[in-house]
Amino acid sequence: MQPKRLGETYVTLKNEMKFCVLALLAPFLIQAQNLKEFEKKVTEFTLPNGLHFIVTERHDAPVVSFNTYVKAGSLNDPAGQTGLAHMFEHMAFKGTPSIGSKNWAEERKALDDVEQTYARLEEERRKDLLADSKKIDSLESLLKSGVEKANMYVEPNAYPRIIEENGGVGLNAGTGLEATNYYYNFPANKIELWFLLESQRFLNPVFREFYKEREVVREERRMRVESNPQGKLMEALLGTAFIAHPYRVGPGGWASDIENLRVSEAEKFYKTYYTPGNITVGIAGDVKPSEVKRLAEKYFSQLPARPRPPEVTTVEPPQEGSKRVEVESPSQPLIFIGYKRPDQYDKDDPVFDVITMILTSGRTSVLYKDMVRDKKLSLAAVSAPTFPGGKYPDLFLFYLAPAIGKSIEENEKEFYAVLEKFKTEKVDDATLARVKTKARASLIHQLDSNSGLASLLNTYHVSYGDWRKLFTALDEVNKVTAADVQRVAQKYFVANGRTVAVTASPKRQGGAQ
Amino acid sequence: VKTRFVLPLVLASAAFAQPARPARPAPAMPSYKDLKYPPLGKIEIPEVQRVTLPNGMKLYLLEDHELPTVGGLALVRTGNLFDPPDKVGLATATGMVMRTGGTRAEAGDVLDEKLENIAASVEASIGESSGRVSFSALKENTDEVLAIFHDVLTSPEFRQEKLDLAKVELRSSISRRNDDADGIADREFEAIVYGRNNPYGWVEQFEHLDRIRRDDLVAFYKRYFFPSNIMLAVYGDFSAPEMKAKIEKLFAGWNYHQEPVPAFPAVTAKPAAGIYTAVKDDVTQTFFTMGHLGGTLKDQDYSALQVMADILGGGFPSRLFQRVRTKLGYAYEISANWNAKFDHPGTFEISGSTKSLSTTDTFLAIKEEIARIRSSEVSDQELQTAKDTVENGFVFNFDTRSKALSRVLTYEYYGYPKDFIFQYRKAIAAVTKADILRVAKQYLRPEDMAIIAVGRPKDFAKPLDTLGKVTNIDLSIPEPKSEPVKADAGSLEKGKELLQRVQQVLGGADNLAGVKDLMQVADVQIDPSMGGLKLKQTNRWLAPGLFRQEVEAPFGKLASFTNGSSGWVKGPQGDGALVGPMLKQAQSEIFRSYFHLLTSDRDSNRTVSYGGPGVLDITDKSGNAVRLFVDESTGMPQKTSYSGPQGAIEEIWSDLRDVGGMKAPFRITITQGGRKFADVTIQDYKVNTGATEAELSKRQ
Repeated sequence: MQPKRLGETYVTLKNEMKFCVLALLAPFLIQAQNLKEFEKKVTEFTLPNGLHFIVTERHDAPVVSFNTYVKAGSLNDPAGQTGLAHMFEHMAFKGTPSIGSKNWAEERKALDDVEQTYARLEEERRKDLLADSKKIDSLESLLKSGVEKANMYVEPNAYPRIIEENGGVGLNAGTGLEATNYYYNFPANKIELWFLLESQRFLNPVFREFYKEREVVREERRMRVESNPQGKLMEALLGTAFIAHPYRVGPGGWASDIENLRVSEAEKFYKTYYTPGNITVGIAGDVKPSEVKRLAEKYFSQLPARPRPPEVTTVEPPQEGSKRVEVESPSQPLIFIGYKRPDQYDKDDPVFDVITMILTSGRTSVLYKDMVRDKKLSLAAVSAPTFPGGKYPDLFLFYLAPAIGKSIEENEKEFYAVLEKFKTEKVDDATLARVKTKARASLIHQLDSNSGLASLLNTYHVSYGDWRKLFTALDEVNKVTAADVQRVAQKYFVANGRTVAVTASPKRQGGAQ
Repeated sequence: VKTRFVLPLVLASAAFAQPARPARPAPAMPSYKDLKYPPLGKIEIPEVQRVTLPNGMKLYLLEDHELPTVGGLALVRTGNLFDPPDKVGLATATGMVMRTGGTRAEAGDVLDEKLENIAASVEASIGESSGRVSFSALKENTDEVLAIFHDVLTSPEFRQEKLDLAKVELRSSISRRNDDADGIADREFEAIVYGRNNPYGWVEQFEHLDRIRRDDLVAFYKRYFFPSNIMLAVYGDFSAPEMKAKIEKLFAGWNYHQEPVPAFPAVTAKPAAGIYTAVKDDVTQTFFTMGHLGGTLKDQDYSALQVMADILGGGFPSRLFQRVRTKLGYAYEISANWNAKFDHPGTFEISGSTKSLSTTDTFLAIKEEIARIRSSEVSDQELQTAKDTVENGFVFNFDTRSKALSRVLTYEYYGYPKDFIFQYRKAIAAVTKADILRVAKQYLRPEDMAIIAVGRPKDFAKPLDTLGKVTNIDLSIPEPKSEPVKADAGSLEKGKELLQRVQQVLGGADNLAGVKDLMQVADVQIDPSMGGLKLKQTNRWLAPGLFRQEVEAPFGKLASFTNGSSGWVKGPQGDGALVGPMLKQAQSEIFRSYFHLLTSDRDSNRTVSYGGPGVLDITDKSGNAVRLFVDESTGMPQKTSYSGPQGAIEEIWSDLRDVGGMKAPFRITITQGGRKFADVTIQDYKVNTGATEAELSKRQ
C-alpha cells in the first residue's frame, strides 16, 4: 500500500541519467548465441491497423508486465500549447464512457456545455480592451457551475481503482520529449482485463475533469521545475542550448501555456498522435503468445488505422560560439555543461557511449578520480551521452556538483583541463576493455525483470526499428577504438558547441567582510 | 526529408478541424465486470537453506539459475542508532570507509580497479538499524569477488585518505541539505516527532564530523562486525552445497567475538503538536509533512491501521487523493501512510506539496478528512477496494525468488514469525468497517499532530496562524563550535611540535616572535557570485592587540580601529562605535594576525593542540579559535579555518614569499559557508615600522 504517483512526467536528473545509461547499453551486448537464446522467448506481431506487439515469455512467477509506448511526447506539443502531451497522459487515467461515469448521456451533455461556455468566454476575452468585463465575469461563473455540474456525474478515479483492486501494481505513466509510456503489472490471470482497459482508454478516452486536472499538471510543474534547483537550471540549459528545435522546452511545458490548455486541443493531439501505427505494446511475463495474439485482435483491432502523425521538421541551426547562462539560486552551486552532438543514428553514436563510461562511470572513471577522489573539488561528476532526447541532434551532458567550499570556477577550470587531456592522450586498452565488460554485465542484470524487458524491447524497437538492436549493437561497440574515442572527443568537445548553465548566488550589496 | 512531412501535417490539421467528439457507435465489447478470470497459477515459494557456521555466522542460500550472476549480502546488527551523541554520523562514515578505505591487503583504489575490470561490486553501508556489506558478480568471477568481499568484511583498513574523502562528501551533504524543500519537511518532521536529542531525531552537524577520527571508525567496526552478529545471504547461479562449503572455508579463520549487541534504544518521544514553518524563498509550492508517532508491525491493530491509511491516502481511489488532487486540483503529490516499523514506533504521516497560495486550504481539507474517517464508518466499497488491492496484488510479494530470501532475512533479523506475511494477509481479510472506525479513533490523534510546512508563508492566501500558533524552524546550519579536541598532554605536546616545525619553515620562531607591528596592503577581489566588488584594504596590527583596517571601495572609504575591547568605525554613512558582530570580527582579526598566530605557543593566553593529521587547533580564553592546516611532510602551512558571522570561513594561503627573512602568503583565497568569497592579493608586508597606538587609532 505504497502511495501511488500518477503521471510521472519528466524524470529528475537522476532518472534522466539512468535512462541514458540504459540507452547506452544498447551498444555493448552479449554475443550472438545469447541473442539466439533470447529470441526463442520473444514473439512479435503487428495488427492490420498497425499496432505492434512484442511479447517476452518468462514463466518464473504468475505475473505479467505491460508497457504501452506511444511515439509522441512533448516535442510534439503545438506552439503555445506546451505541456499538452503531458496533459493528455493525465487524461488517460480518467476513464471511458462506461468507466468513470454515473450517467454518460447526461455527463456528455454537461461536458459539451462546458466547452461551449468556454468558447464563448474565450471569444469575449479576445476582444481584448473592448471586452465586457461583466460578461466575462458572468461567463466565468457559468463555466464554474458548468464544471461542477459535469463533475456530478463522475465516479472519480474509477479507472485506476479497477486496476488496483484487481491486483495491478506499479501503475503509472511518463511523458518524455519523444515518447509517452503507460505501464503496470497484473497477476497473470488478469491479462484480459489489461487488454480491455488499455484498448478502451485509447479508443474512447473521455476528457472529464479536464480543467481540474490542468491544475494538477500545473502543480506538477511547480514541484519538479519551479521548486527544484536542478529543474530550474535544466530548463535554463535547454532554453539556451537550443534556439529553434523543440528540445528547447522541457516536458513540463510553460506555466502560462498549461493554464490555457483546452479539451479541443487535447482531443486533437490524441487523434493525431495516438494512432495504432504510432503505438507499440511490450508484454513480458507468464503469458502464452497465442493467447496474447487472440486478445490483441479482439480488443485492439477496433482502433481505426489513421495516417502517420507528422514528425518534427525544425532543425536546430548550427551553434556558432559557446553559450553560458546563470540562474540565481540560494542553493549550493550546480553546473551543467553540454556539448552539441549528432543524433542517435550517427555512426559515432556508440563512441559517445564509450566516452561517457570512461569519463564518469564508477570509481575508476577519469572525472571521478580526478575531481571527486583526488582533488576533492566535486561531490559528483556525471555525464549522459545523449540529452535530452536522441532522435535529433542534442547534447553530450556533464553535471558537476562542487564539493563544500569549492567554487563553480574551480570546478569548471579543472573540468576543462581534464577534458583537454582526454582529447590529447589516447585511452589505454585496459580502460576500453573494462567499460565493455561493465556494459555487458549491466545488460545481463537488466534482463531480470518483466517490467525492464517490456520497456527495454519497446524502446529499442521504436528507436532503431528492431528490438534485436539491444543485442546486435555490441558489434559496433566492440569496434570502437582508442582512436575513435579521441577523434570524437576532439571533434565535439569544443567551445563552439558548448553550453554552460550554472547557479549563482543572489547578488548581495555591500563590501568586504 | 523535411518536405516529406509538410503535406501530411496540413492534411492532418484540416482533417481534425471538425467539431469535437464525433458520434461513435458504442463498441460491442464486454464490460470489465463481465470478464471471467482463470485461477492464478501456483505461486512457488523457494526454500531458503539455512545453516549456522562454526564461527557463529548464519548462512542463507538460495539458488537462482535464470541469469549467470551471483550476489550476496551480510546483514550486521548495528546502526546509526548507536552513534555517540557528540559524533552523529559515525556509523555512516564507518560504512562508507569500510569499503573505500580498502583492506589490510589492498588499498581501496586497487579494489575499485579489480572489481570494475570484471564488472563486479562490493559495497558497504550502515543505516538506521542495520549494517550491510554486499557483493555482485558474474558467475565466472565468483571466487575472486568472494575473496574481496571476505576481506572487506573481516579486515577493512579504514585508510585516513578515504575518511578525509568521506568527510568531504558528508560535509557537502550537510551544506546541501536545505536545497531540497521536500527533504527539509521530512527531516524536520522526524526531528520534531522523535525529538532532537536522541538517535531517532537528531541531525548530523559539522561539529560531529569534525570530532570523528579514524580510531573511532575502527572501534565502531570492531564492536559490531563479528561472526555471530552477522547473517550472510547468498543467491544466484550456484549449487548450494558447493557454495556452503566455499563460504565455510573462506570464513573458517574468522573467529573474532564480542559481547552480544544490546537492543536498539527505545523511543522516548513526547507529543510535539504544533504548526511549524521553515521559510524557503526559492520555491512556488509548500512542501508539507504532518502527523505523529505511530506503531510497529507487531501491534495487534497493524492490519486495520494499514487498511485505514490506505482508504485515507493510499492509492488513486483514496480520500485525500480524490479530495485534494482530483476535486480541488491543489496537489500533484498527496498521500497518507501508517508507517509502522519492525522494532520501534514508526509514524503516521501525511505528506505532499501544494502551491503556496492554497497551503492553508489544503491543510483544512486534510484535517476534515482525518475528522471524517474518525467519525463515521467507511463505505463497503472503500473497504472492499482496499482489501482486494492487498489480496489480488499478493502474488507480487513472490514475483522474484530473491524476495523470498529478503523476507526470511528481515523476519529473522527483527524477530518476526516466518509466516508473518501470511498472517498479515489473513488479518487484512478479517478487517471490518467497525475495526477501521475504532483504530482511526484510537490511533489518529489530531490534537498531537505536528504540521511542518516548508515554503513561502508570505504567499499563503490565508495565514497559517488561522489554524493555530505557528513556530518558525531555524534552518541555518550550525558551524562547528570552537571546542577542539580536549587538549590532553599528548595533543598539546604534539601540537607544539608541529607548530615549531611550521615556525622553522617560515623563518624561525624567534624571528616570527620578533615582529611587533605589521602593515599589510592588499587588493581584494570579491567573487562575481557575491557581487564582484574590487577593494583595496590596509590592515595594521600592533602587538599585542591593536588593530586598524582601512578599506577603499567603489562606494567610499571605510576605516575602523579596535583595542580588543572597544573601537570605532568611520564610513560614508557616518561614524559609530564598533560593537556587536563587527567588534567580534575585529577581535578575531587581532587573534588571527599572521605573525602572532604563528607564535601562539609563546602566548600564555593561548592553547595550541594537535587536532589530527595536519591540523592545529589554536584557541584562547575569550573563545577565539582557529584551525591551522599544515602539510605534515613539509611543515608548510596551507590554510586556516574559523567561524564567521555568515558561516565557516576558510583562508587558503599560497604564493608564500620572503618578508624580511621570513615567509608570508601573498595570495589568500577566502571561502565562506562553503562558497568562494574572495581572492586577496597582498601587495606589501611591512614589519616593525615602529608604529604607535596614536597612529593606528587616529580618526581620519
